Amino acid sequence: MHPLLHLKYRLLAPLVLVLGAVIGYPLAFSLWVSLHNYTLTAIGQAKLVGAANYLGLLANPSYWRAIGNTVTFVLVAVGLELILGFGLALLLHHRATPLRHLFRSLLLTPMFITPIAVGLMFRFLLNSQLGIIPQALKALGIHVDWFGSRLALFSLALIDVWQWTPFMLLLLLAGLEALPTEPFEAARVDGASGWNMVRYVTLPLMRPVILAAVVIRMLDAFKVYEYVYAITRGGPGESTETIQYHIYRVGFLYFRMGEAAAMAYTLIIVVLILVIILFYVLRRSAT
Amino acid sequence: MISRRLATQAIILLILCLALAIVIFPYLWTLLASFKTEAALNRPLDWNFTPTLANWQAMLHSEIPRQVLNSIIVGAVTVLLSLLLGAPAAYSFSRFRTGGDGARFAVLLAQMLPPAALIVPLFLLMYTLRLLDTLWAVVASHLTFILPLVTWFLIGFFDDVPPELEEQAMVDGCTQWQAFYRVVLPTIRPGLGAAALFGFVLSWNDLFYALLLTGKHSRTLPVGIAGYWTFRGIEMGQMSAAIILAIGPVIIASFFVQRYLVRGLGGGAVKG
Amino acid sequence: MKGKLLITILLALALGITACGPKPTPAATPASEAETPAAAATTAPPAPPSETVTLTVIMEQVPDYDIVAQLTPQFEAENPNIKIKFDAMPYDAMRDKILTSFLAPQATYDIIIVDNPWMDEFAKAGFLTPLDEYIAATPGYDFNDFVGPVREIGVVDGKVYGVPYYNYALGMIVRQDLFDNPDYQAKYQAKYGKPLTVPTTLEDYVQVGQFFKEQGIYGAAMQPQRGYKVFEEWKNWLYAAGGDLMDAQGNVIIDNEAAQKALELYIEMYKTAAPPDSLNWGFDESLRSMAAGESATMISYNWMLPTLNKPGGPAGDLAGKFALYEVPGGKAVLGTWHWAIPHNTPNKDAAWMFVSWLTSKMVDKQRVIMGGAPTRVSVMTDTEVWEKGFGKGYYETVLKILEDAEPLARGPHAEEIINEVGTYLNSAVAGEMSVAQALKAAAEKTREISARP
Repeated sequence: MHPLLHLKYRLLAPLVLVLGAVIGYPLAFSLWVSLHNYTLTAIGQAKLVGAANYLGLLANPSYWRAIGNTVTFVLVAVGLELILGFGLALLLHHRATPLRHLFRSLLLTPMFITPIAVGLMFRFLLNSQLGIIPQALKALGIHVDWFGSRLALFSLALIDVWQWTPFMLLLLLAGLEALPTEPFEAARVDGASGWNMVRYVTLPLMRPVILAAVVIRMLDAFKVYEYVYAITRGGPGESTETIQYHIYRVGFLYFRMGEAAAMAYTLIIVVLILVIILFYVLRRSAT
Repeated sequence: MISRRLATQAIILLILCLALAIVIFPYLWTLLASFKTEAALNRPLDWNFTPTLANWQAMLHSEIPRQVLNSIIVGAVTVLLSLLLGAPAAYSFSRFRTGGDGARFAVLLAQMLPPAALIVPLFLLMYTLRLLDTLWAVVASHLTFILPLVTWFLIGFFDDVPPELEEQAMVDGCTQWQAFYRVVLPTIRPGLGAAALFGFVLSWNDLFYALLLTGKHSRTLPVGIAGYWTFRGIEMGQMSAAIILAIGPVIIASFFVQRYLVRGLGGGAVKG
Repeated sequence: MKGKLLITILLALALGITACGPKPTPAATPASEAETPAAAATTAPPAPPSETVTLTVIMEQVPDYDIVAQLTPQFEAENPNIKIKFDAMPYDAMRDKILTSFLAPQATYDIIIVDNPWMDEFAKAGFLTPLDEYIAATPGYDFNDFVGPVREIGVVDGKVYGVPYYNYALGMIVRQDLFDNPDYQAKYQAKYGKPLTVPTTLEDYVQVGQFFKEQGIYGAAMQPQRGYKVFEEWKNWLYAAGGDLMDAQGNVIIDNEAAQKALELYIEMYKTAAPPDSLNWGFDESLRSMAAGESATMISYNWMLPTLNKPGGPAGDLAGKFALYEVPGGKAVLGTWHWAIPHNTPNKDAAWMFVSWLTSKMVDKQRVIMGGAPTRVSVMTDTEVWEKGFGKGYYETVLKILEDAEPLARGPHAEEIINEVGTYLNSAVAGEMSVAQALKAAAEKTREISARP
């Protein structure tokens, strides 16, 4: 039998074919586009421009601003989600917690909602005059300008935290439930309790799960689009212009597909590097 | 001792109730908004309003119910295809280590590709195939991230199955394929369920692809909800009703599957 | 069964790869193509098709679309051989759909609607059918009856590519009851030594805004949201200060003294009289602020007035207390939607029959009575429209606004220029850039974009 007919390749073939069609082909086409001055209003005149689209990005402040905003957004959102998710997971894992299942069921719900709905709900909840949250805060004497230039990106990150902390909670809780009991018993015999137990036993044991959860969330948060689309449209100024939104704008509003494709490719490379690092860490901690 | 335990419980309860309030408040507020008139919506602190069913009536007679159906069809077909294609491949990656770490890595990488990099070629491809404004176009675009994700999850589940299980089956006269199909696959049923559910949620949530690939007949729910934000103002009352219609069933359904989902997701991620 | 399905999909996708390689589809040269039917039409109006034709029309989901959809059965009854199929969608989904339809060998859409920033771009790329011959061949159409500035948007390089659908010119909507309040009038008189009137200059506007803020009501519900919105509002201020985006020769002058003054006053208004923290507000929030009785004025689309004054509408008890005026300075920003016929539809004659029917004096009058935004002079001066519509005063003001109005930007890159200028303006309002810096950057960016082929 030809080695390529081995079961392991036959099992794989359909996946490779379909992914080739829906991912491989678009990627190749995008690469081709990124090397041309490809504008949708003048496709016939697309000319090969080599790396010009890529080099143009180096001197494009909007592009760098979008990258910076996206990285900030991802770090803030995923960082908070990890802290909150881990804390909540510990509480829900605690045997003494009453109504654990009810709490968990309800706390997990935001991740099931379509983000555009979340964005539009918060657009009005946080609206300075018409939203209930600023009005309530005002009654308490607190004044927060949620979508002003200083806080807008942070506010979007908070919305992400509202929606996706449940996902972190879900994974971390599962991780906690899967942990072996022996190390905890041993630590308890040694007199450890409370915070020390978490710090020296739970956290090290949980590292692989935490990393996995963080990777998944980061990859997803990099694609943030709906909240920007629904609330700020990238403003004030360019302070919430994320890379996905920027690419959408250049590509589908201005039709400059070549430039948009080049941006998308640099994004792929940035995320690729990130995944390599995390994958490496993940592998090492698993063995 | 007992009092300290009670105090701890009280604090935990307090924190959880706070978290719960933060999670539930937007739902309740949106539910409330769906019963308000336009004038009442503009005065959020005015509690003295007469509830109306007009928003719900208008929403139910719009295209929203059909868009819900579209979203369900797209999610179900995408997930079904992902399982059909992903499960055998994941088994191959797990059992034979096909492609080694590189292959697993590629699968992980594939699911995070920015949609912005794929949308234009997909758009032109769907156009050429005369598939624009069909649910197939949306399914194809959703496969780009759900198929790798499902595969990645399932690799973890297959990793958990002890090799002895299928070795025993093969001793008993099964071929490798039969061992996979009859023995291994049923043991990871919870994993398949979890992956399917999660894939469905991601498909259900997508706006970016659906916005650009659908037309009159194939619009999905997120596009429908975004459609309330019109050039002439946001129809907030109707939009709120649509949001409730969209999230209510999903939230209720999630109660029945969570237990199962938690175990499944954890299994996939722990082993990475 | 599942396997079969799968194979079908795989096959379809694999075929797609060869069918849709990275070969550019050349945009057909429509000008020559378009001549033939148009030339034929000079002698006689297009005859109804002998076989049944279905026209697909792309629309944006707005109330104006609902009105068109309600009128259309009349057309279908009069023309049994033409069926109209609408594809209504959100604004953000439209641009790429229209464009792919243009690029295809045969159009998906037989009739499209064109937002004013796209008109030059689409016409110059050769995507639209010139309509001059059709217009000439349609008896009683009276193209010149459309208000001048609205009509002119559909004219590119001397040829008509679009006929008006509806307008979204800006006006100033005020709470008339506040301006008429004797208490406020007395206080204003005492403080500034002149009567409280609806402002007609920028300085007065800022002053009136600040005055109302002191009385506990915001002076202006502004829309400084990044991009289209802030530019759409501010450009009215720019006109009032005597500035413009470009001068008559096409030189970019958005960084001159007039512009600086306009932006400084705009920011002063935002900081001293607008609702706080409204940096991301678009027209929707402004409208709600007015409807909730929190703000005294706003610069917004003229047809927001009937919305606000509708009994049982968003303004509740305040309905009837709003009035429409021209923006300070008199010259307003003009937005329009136009009907156009793509170069690559085989049903040009039938498409024109529908478009010309819908925009004819008679049907347009019906449309406006039903609440559509007007475009024709004859309709706005029609007593029946006044009675059945929103009253004489409203249509007269709208006509005045439309007669002295100009779009945000023209040329094939209008969409991008508007977005970029709007980004810098929003930065200046946010305090991220100084007025001079922001305007200089906006001017440079506009020059850079305009210089592109």
